[in-house]
Amino acid sequence: MKELEFRDVTVRFGTGHGTVTAVDGVDLTVPAGSVVGLVGESGSGKSTLAKAAVGLVPESGGEILLDGRPVRRTRGRRTLQMVFQDPYSSLNPRMSVGDSIAEAMPRGRGRKERRAEVARLLELVELDASRAGSLPGGLSGGQRQRVALARALAAEPEVILADEITSALDVSVQGAVLNLVRDLQRRLGLSILFISHNLSVVRYVSDLIAVMYLGRIVEFGPAAEVLSAPRHPYTQTLLDAAPRVGTSLDDAVPADRSELDGEPPSPHDPPSGCAFHRRCPYGPLVLPERTICAEDDPMTGADTRPHRAACHFAADLEVSIP
Amino acid sequence: MRLTHWLNALRSPVGAVSATLLSAFIVLALIAPIIWGDAAEQTDPSALSQGPSAEHFLGTDGLGRDIWMRVLVATRTSLGLAVLATLIAVSIGTLLGVLPAVLGRRAGRLAVALVNLAVAFPALLLALFFAVIFGIGAKGAVLAIGIAGAPSFARLVQTNVAAVAGRDFVSAARVAGVGRVRLVFRHLLPNVGEPLVVNATVMAGGALLAFAGLSFLGIGVQPPTYDWGRLLGEGLSRIYLNPAAALAPGVAVVLAGLAFTLLGETIAQVVGLRTTARRGHLGVLPTLRRREPDEPTTTQPGSNGASVYDGVSTQHAAASTDGSTVRPDDAVLVARDLTVSFPGPRGWTHPVDGVDLTVHRGETVGIVGESGSGKSLTALAVARLAPEEAVVRASTLNFLGTSLPDRSDAELRRLLGTSMAMVFQDPMTSFNPSMRVGRQLAEVTRTHEGHSRRAAWDRAVDRLRKVRVPAAERRAAQYPHEFSGGMRQRAMIGMGLMSSPDLVIADEPTTALDVTVQRQVLRLLREVQRESGAAVVLISHDIAVVSQMCERIVVMYSGRVVEELPVDRLAEAAHPYTRALLGSVPDLATDVDRPLATIPGRPPDPGARPPGCAFAPRCAFADDTCTAPPVLEDVAPRQRAACWHPQSGPVAPSPLAGAEPAVDVPTRTGGQP
Ligand SMILES: Nc1ncnc2c1ncn2[C@@H]1O[C@H](COP(=O)(O)OP(=O)(O)OP(=O)(O)O)[C@@H](O)[C@H]1O
Ligand code: SF4
Ligand code: SF4
Ligand SMILES: [Mg+2]
Repeated sequence: MKELEFRDVTVRFGTGHGTVTAVDGVDLTVPAGSVVGLVGESGSGKSTLAKAAVGLVPESGGEILLDGRPVRRTRGRRTLQMVFQDPYSSLNPRMSVGDSIAEAMPRGRGRKERRAEVARLLELVELDASRAGSLPGGLSGGQRQRVALARALAAEPEVILADEITSALDVSVQGAVLNLVRDLQRRLGLSILFISHNLSVVRYVSDLIAVMYLGRIVEFGPAAEVLSAPRHPYTQTLLDAAPRVGTSLDDAVPADRSELDGEPPSPHDPPSGCAFHRRCPYGPLVLPERTICAEDDPMTGADTRPHRAACHFAADLEVSIP
Repeated sequence: MRLTHWLNALRSPVGAVSATLLSAFIVLALIAPIIWGDAAEQTDPSALSQGPSAEHFLGTDGLGRDIWMRVLVATRTSLGLAVLATLIAVSIGTLLGVLPAVLGRRAGRLAVALVNLAVAFPALLLALFFAVIFGIGAKGAVLAIGIAGAPSFARLVQTNVAAVAGRDFVSAARVAGVGRVRLVFRHLLPNVGEPLVVNATVMAGGALLAFAGLSFLGIGVQPPTYDWGRLLGEGLSRIYLNPAAALAPGVAVVLAGLAFTLLGETIAQVVGLRTTARRGHLGVLPTLRRREPDEPTTTQPGSNGASVYDGVSTQHAAASTDGSTVRPDDAVLVARDLTVSFPGPRGWTHPVDGVDLTVHRGETVGIVGESGSGKSLTALAVARLAPEEAVVRASTLNFLGTSLPDRSDAELRRLLGTSMAMVFQDPMTSFNPSMRVGRQLAEVTRTHEGHSRRAAWDRAVDRLRKVRVPAAERRAAQYPHEFSGGMRQRAMIGMGLMSSPDLVIADEPTTALDVTVQRQVLRLLREVQRESGAAVVLISHDIAVVSQMCERIVVMYSGRVVEELPVDRLAEAAHPYTRALLGSVPDLATDVDRPLATIPGRPPDPGARPPGCAFAPRCAFADDTCTAPPVLEDVAPRQRAACWHPQSGPVAPSPLAGAEPAVDVPTRTGGQP
């Protein structure tokens, strides 16, 4: 397994006035053999970042490196593999499960060898090897997602990018897929960028957590620390908003204040200064003296702050969760 | 499975006609030239240009040849040329059509532009042009018709391929390093084949007509060869002398064209591009099943009605059985034994199968269940929004004391329109995209309460303000797509508040939203509920979401209520499914060093529900008792569970809690987070 590094990666869509910067100068490292969880709200650029890594969208700037060398996108063996959110659309309905998996294998293998490998992979993802001949149509969402995982593993990748792989599954089967991901990761020592909007899910599988907001990584650090002592108000807001059994909507959290914007800003027209300032419970709308938030971009100097937080007040953010 | 589809299609009128016609034509094309080929060439100087006679069924042509035989013999040429031209069109069209997917971005765009240009060019003109280039004769005509048909086929291929190319499996194949050619042949074409086959078939019919036209005009098939078009041309010149000579080839062309077109329709039906509503041979819909503990599933004969409320309104004898001590008039909604059934290919299925639901005034009730558990359908049935083909029955269905099945449609519309509000998961599909948001809100009061346009608009703006849509005045004049997801959802709630509802049913209202926005929408819903005193039914797959908002939780599994409990008893849920659900969803306190609890298997299809307890195949506590259907019974004050072996004690935080199938275990000791 190798280390995946995004270095100042930018992805833009559209031209002229319609330009959207979906990923904005992202620096992020997935260390060899570890799982980095990437959280953020819808439209924050999580999927785009992953797609840039596997070459499904072209990056407009920056570099994507594997162990320090630019990712090669040659035919034959693909060193990065992606698993998609919707298992109903990510498998070719006209191709047998076995063919889909075999197709992703590196070239130059005999038929028999491929067949044996398919069987091995199916068993690895806890499916019956006899499933190889069946079409995806007869499989449940959870089973399909296992096949998609097997297909990704078939390519013998260095890094796996898993984009919301449990969101489309039934609640009662999500757990099993998460267990599988964790188990595989430990057994095979995989490096994984695990994308989800669900903090609890990310927390369960990740060693490190990166929080993305409007195309940027605003906080990055060891999973337990980021969740127990977040340094960026946005992370705190996400934690506070995560629904939990045993809490009530009446238990007010800082982000409930009515003077704050409820909605994420438009990526077409990002706010000045800190992109989070109109929603920040520790920002200028609540503490008027914090004018710097609306003026200076807190990305500058983020490297020197705890958790590389993109917040001017990261050091004295008084937050912690029970 | 596939074969039975085809057999069924053949039994439909369209399928039968097309199959019969086509086989007749194919047989003719094969044998007619062999049997009558020579006879059709035989000139008979003694019988030139005769009308129908005993000897010559349709008369003879100018050289005394038998027209009937010539029409029969011409089948091979006519069909053959049409099929050939279609093959050409399909091959060229497919090639052109997949180009954009295979070429790079820029070259692909060029290919699209070229095809679009070619499509805009009139096909007949193109055919004439080619006929001139390739020379007059069958060869030129085939090429002409083939090439003229190619652009439209190419465009069809392009649009279909483009739709498939956007799906994740194509991305996955790209990421896996699959080459372009293989991408086309293994991933793209097989998944667009169906509409293409259908269109090619219809196209063959068109080619047949076009060919007849060209031959008729004299630029198609040349003598001595002949096809229906030429026979038609020859016959037409003598139409007053012998109408049959012109009619016969004409009829042949029309019938063959029809055969191809109908075949296209049939294929489309089989491959599911068109759906036909079939309701025959379903058998009788079993009425109200009352499941008593000692009397498993008795089925009473009943009628097979089609209207929405055809459940028999039996005497509502059973007193409120949910253990609460409220007066009956306190209930906003009472549903007893609610069943929603659909006709299916193998008989009726019951996605909602005997649900009891009572909602009291001002109460918040959460319905939790996985996809397919029937939670949405329950709500839709109550709101009278179940799909057209659904049959809804209930022994009792009361809303605000009114028995819904007894009311006329108009009364129901008014009652539900003013007193019940629905909020759906995807407000984009519940708003009319071409109408300003404010107007859509205003419409509600205008239809139901007859407010003036101005007053209704003002109220709409006021309601938008109420649900905290910023700059409500300006926003009201915008269209739904100009709203963000969260704002649309709030506008939807605002729409519910246009009149003063007694019940708000919110079906996964925040599933498409981010957690931060979800929290705001739910808080808004709660605030609205407190202020208006309306009861709220919140439907969600997420037990945590429901627990934050509701007082009482109803857990559904496979179309039935399996447990009903106050939110503060969640930690002591009794039904194995509820407990497993709570244990298998990670939260921010889950122990990350232990595997998550999992529920083996998957929820059953409503059509293949196991007898007895539907959860039994996945349940760690299942035994022989569970093959009889359990009913909801009190397990604690205000808590009911439908289980033969209700569990007690705190829900363990992690997996194997209760892996040992124990029955009525007393309080479990052990870790609670
Ligand atoms: N092909 C595209 N053309 C134009 N804009 C795009 C395209 N793909 C994504 N975007 C935009 O880029 C931004 C980031 O999108 P992306 O899909 O990466 O977000 P995400 O974090 O994965 O969100 P989600 O949680 O909804 O999956 C969004 O504003 C989106 O509208
Ligand atoms: S920089 Fe200011 S507005 Fe931005 S997150 Fe920090 S405190 Fe909030
Ligand atoms: S114990 Fe029996 S009745 Fe109860 S949930 Fe399990 S299978 Fe169903
Ligand atoms: Mg995404």
